[in-house]
Amino acid sequence: MSGLIILIIVVVVLAVIIFTMYNTLVGKKNQVENAFGSMDIMLKKRYDLIPNLVAAVQQYMQHEAGVLKEVTELRARAMGAPMSSDDAVELNNQIGRALGGIMVAVERYPDLKATENFQQLQRSLNEVEEQISAARRAFNASVTDYNNAVEMFPTNMVAAMMSYRRRHLFEIPDAEREAPSVKELFAQ
Amino acid sequence: MKTAGDLQRFYDNELLPVLTDLEKRRKAIFRNIVIAFAVVLFVAGAIGACSLRSQGSPTALIMIAVLGIMALVTIGMFLSKGFIRDFKISVIGRVAGYCDPNLSYLPESYVSRAEFESSTLFKQGIDRYRGEDLGSGQLGKTAVRFSEVHAEYKTTTRDSRGRTRTQWHTIFKGLFFIADFNKHFSGRTVVLPDTAERFFGRFGQTLQNMNLSRADLIKLEDPEFERQFVVYGTDQVESRYILSTSLMRRILEFQKEVDAPLHIAFVASQIYIAVSTRKNMFEPRIIKTILDIDLIQEYVEDLQFAMGMVEDLNLNTRIWSKA
Repeated sequence: MSGLIILIIVVVVLAVIIFTMYNTLVGKKNQVENAFGSMDIMLKKRYDLIPNLVAAVQQYMQHEAGVLKEVTELRARAMGAPMSSDDAVELNNQIGRALGGIMVAVERYPDLKATENFQQLQRSLNEVEEQISAARRAFNASVTDYNNAVEMFPTNMVAAMMSYRRRHLFEIPDAEREAPSVKELFAQ
Repeated sequence: MKTAGDLQRFYDNELLPVLTDLEKRRKAIFRNIVIAFAVVLFVAGAIGACSLRSQGSPTALIMIAVLGIMALVTIGMFLSKGFIRDFKISVIGRVAGYCDPNLSYLPESYVSRAEFESSTLFKQGIDRYRGEDLGSGQLGKTAVRFSEVHAEYKTTTRDSRGRTRTQWHTIFKGLFFIADFNKHFSGRTVVLPDTAERFFGRFGQTLQNMNLSRADLIKLEDPEFERQFVVYGTDQVESRYILSTSLMRRILEFQKEVDAPLHIAFVASQIYIAVSTRKNMFEPRIIKTILDIDLIQEYVEDLQFAMGMVEDLNLNTRIWSKA
């Protein structure tokens, strides 16, 4: 009789453990989605700044009309039809590079740089870039957390049963990691 | 950058006259304390000898010794109180002006208890809150306030004979520093010394995650930072926006320089730093001469340490939306 009770207790305890692990995994998966959403929010903040930036800079930077046009087009594409996440990432990286290029080019227009409007925009842009960086770091942290749960014992057994797989970290491509080459930008 | 030559000039031209006057007072006070010491010693000795002869037990002797010491300390404090206050106003006030004309110094003021509690760095309820030596001003683009703070809580125990004993425990003792932070943020982030992870490793992190009195655990990428500190914050992204990789490096450098427990909080676009130093800063000397440039040098170093936090943590870099 007591043997049966012990068996029941063991089964119940095991069930509780497995349910807890299941819930932990689901929680971590959702946290990854959440962090991905945060990245999106920050990226959209950057899209919102682009029209103001282009308007402020257009009159002064006549030579740079090409780059300004490019960034406006990139923004339109980003806000337009939904695309695969790889394409979205590549697009956002391009926008980042284009904006970087514009900010470097502004160095040649001290009149523009001195205007309060531009300085305000520059601050907002710096802030958005840092927030995007923070969102990416937060995303990577939640992916690492999730990957740890999926691969480490004992949660890896439950993860296998749920078909949860490792996810990729957000990586900054090598091209963007290099600081924009000023010479190259001026040549454009 | 102030040089040794600058300090010598400042000492000779501005401080020496003030110090010379105060030195006379110090000598008088010291003499009085020595006399008081002799008197107390004599009286205590006499009473002790009498009680020893009549009772023969050492407990009375010990009690008399304790009372004697307490009397001495009280007398010493009473005699030197006015001197200490005047010294602080005339000497340390000038030293503060020398370090930075924008810095003002008030010896009897301190960071308010409300400000201390709003940092949420120390969750323990406070029963006694004291402080002194408030420095405040605008250093570059950053408004700062800092003072020495001593916060304590008490426990009352009842022993077997029914007597209640009140014991005081220190929550925080040291330098408490508040400054304008260079970024806007709306939530709360708290950086605490990391004891659990150092002792328990990965399991320590699980324990930290379960801390109910704190917000969400924020796991950061810098492994050295993670070893030294544990971070809790109300928003994962915002905490990382505040704790950029460069700020984490700077905090680590600062920790190495300070070599004392550091508690940092980011609340309402301000940064709160609590440095648990054991040293009582900005105190005059009673026993040794105060006509000593090394003493002044020490005050300068202590003030520059407090002010230096602005530069060390790059708070004057205002390239984001907060001017």
